[in-house]
Amino acid sequence: MAHDPKREDYQRLSLRFALSLDASDANDLPRAFASFGRRFAQDRDSLPQSDADRAFHLVALAAELLDYRLPFVADDDRAAAMARRADALLDEARAIDPTCYDAVRMRLLTSTGSVEERCRLLADGEREVRAFCEAERDRVCAELDGEREMLAAAIAMRPYWRWLSSMAEGALVAGRNREAAELAERLLASDPHDLSDARFTLAYALAKLEDGPGLARLVERYETISPMRPADDAWVLLSQLALAYKDYDLPGARRLLGRLLAAYPTSARSLAHQIEVVGGVFARVRVAPYSEDEMVVALSEGVVLLQEGGAPGGSGALGAWVERAVRELAGPASLGDEGRAARSGEGGAS
Amino acid sequence: MNAWDELVARCAQRRREKIGPLSDQAFEELLLAVRERPADFVDSPSEQALLELARALDAYRASRQDDDLLDDDAFRAARERRLLALASACDRAVAIDKGCLDARLVALLAREEDPDALLGSLVELEREASVPVPEGGGDAWDDVWCRPRLRLRAAIARTCLDGARHRMARTAAASLLATSPRDELGARHTEMLACARLEDEAGLGELDARFAGHESAWSHLARVILLYKLNRMAAARRALRGFDGLCAGGAYALLRPTFVDVYLPDRPEVAPCSFEECLMAVREAEPIVADTPELIAWCQDQDWFVASARSFAERRDLDW
Repeated sequence: MAHDPKREDYQRLSLRFALSLDASDANDLPRAFASFGRRFAQDRDSLPQSDADRAFHLVALAAELLDYRLPFVADDDRAAAMARRADALLDEARAIDPTCYDAVRMRLLTSTGSVEERCRLLADGEREVRAFCEAERDRVCAELDGEREMLAAAIAMRPYWRWLSSMAEGALVAGRNREAAELAERLLASDPHDLSDARFTLAYALAKLEDGPGLARLVERYETISPMRPADDAWVLLSQLALAYKDYDLPGARRLLGRLLAAYPTSARSLAHQIEVVGGVFARVRVAPYSEDEMVVALSEGVVLLQEGGAPGGSGALGAWVERAVRELAGPASLGDEGRAARSGEGGAS
Repeated sequence: MNAWDELVARCAQRRREKIGPLSDQAFEELLLAVRERPADFVDSPSEQALLELARALDAYRASRQDDDLLDDDAFRAARERRLLALASACDRAVAIDKGCLDARLVALLAREEDPDALLGSLVELEREASVPVPEGGGDAWDDVWCRPRLRLRAAIARTCLDGARHRMARTAAASLLATSPRDELGARHTEMLACARLEDEAGLGELDARFAGHESAWSHLARVILLYKLNRMAAARRALRGFDGLCAGGAYALLRPTFVDVYLPDRPEVAPCSFEECLMAVREAEPIVADTPELIAWCQDQDWFVASARSFAERRDLDW
């Protein structure tokens, strides 16, 4: 599913707009609704909105810059300028609404280099964010009903879900796998439809803990957590593959690699090269299911599995095995160029 | 591995089997005689192969003595040559007796394949090995004929740890502890590190309790890693204090990792919690430490820990 900052910005204003219409003349409703789309795109300021809505709009703009444009900027100076612009948007969002916890969190992530420090700061703020979001949710639930209530409640809780998500991902990178699993479980308890795709982080944490039964239970829970998407995403398959590999069940690992290649038919090259991209700041970036992009995101988060152990100075035990096995399974034609691209990016195991 | 001691024990036992029952005193005298001239008592291919291995290990160890005088490139070249020579000598021993498990093990270890390939060879070797390890009762280490199997199993456990197969490392180490409860080979050290990596506090606690009074650089380091990973930072700091206070030069070993050569075929004997033991523990924990990317930075943030490392370096005249 994944968090979508633009869509959420739209949802916030359309909900507020709909509520503002309740008080107006019913005859004007169709015309008013028809005008919303145009006003949202061209004359946003003419729409009713709160400080929280205004702040979130800036968050959405910053998210667009940080997560969807910055990764493609090759020039260092331009990238630095874009990052500064995003930070300024986030600072402005916080100034408009000090309880804009997305802006608080994203600013914390862009200004703190150390994972340890990030995890600590996020943990320090977690109780406050949860209390605020839950109070906001309770407030809207008391005022609204039906679909509006559900949407408003979800919008109220999302900043907290993203906060927990950042904590879980940070814990995984820091090598605190039990904590990562616990945080992902808490996120699933709060966000049972898993908008945040916490099950992906949970799968990796369980694979790191080499908890086969735990991973098998997670696969069974997919039906409830994610009824629209079966347990054949890159995260869960790579986790299962890692467990087979770690049990020295290489034929089993090879079978799972085959399933991964079948589910992601355009991804052999990414699997062989294992290029690492930096993770999203607003949330895990939105990509098409089973696309090569999704594979790249899964592999980037998967460095914690791929790059662990192995020959000193090498590319990690599992990473090296996957690279070899993909070349054998997929053949050189689907791998494109020869040789392995240099790894880039930060974080993860070495 | 003390190949000569085991050769003496095996030759004496074989001789006793040939000449019939001996009193304890007579066997002691036989042992003395064998120890004096072991080669004279070698009368089977299996002991002949072990004799070759003992000589090869002596030559290997002797050739390391001038390492300190070499620069990096010369050291690398010398090391490569001597590992190659050792592997060839082991091959000669195996040619004499294919069943010489130790020679086959040392040959595999000396060739320094990556952990995946090495594990495959070791598992295959274990499958082929014909000497069964007795189950239950006593300690398999007391049977000198069992020891090669135990060493092989210990090497499998360590190789699993190097290849990020922590549950397998635990299983291999635990099976070794079951057949050899005195744990002469230190399988518990491997298991402790695996417990720390798997964040299994109960597992590490059980091992600590079982070997209470036998703390080691591994047990102290494993505790630090576990508590850091569980994000119990006050307790992790106390554990780091313990590691620093009880393991000589532990802080230096952790902050300035030093090259530790491959074990051929098992860990060299050193004093518990000595600097040398710290170097080995840190080397074995290296993949786990690397997987916990800010653990070392956190250690470096503890001023007293860095000061301790620096003062150890000054006392020992080590680089800082």
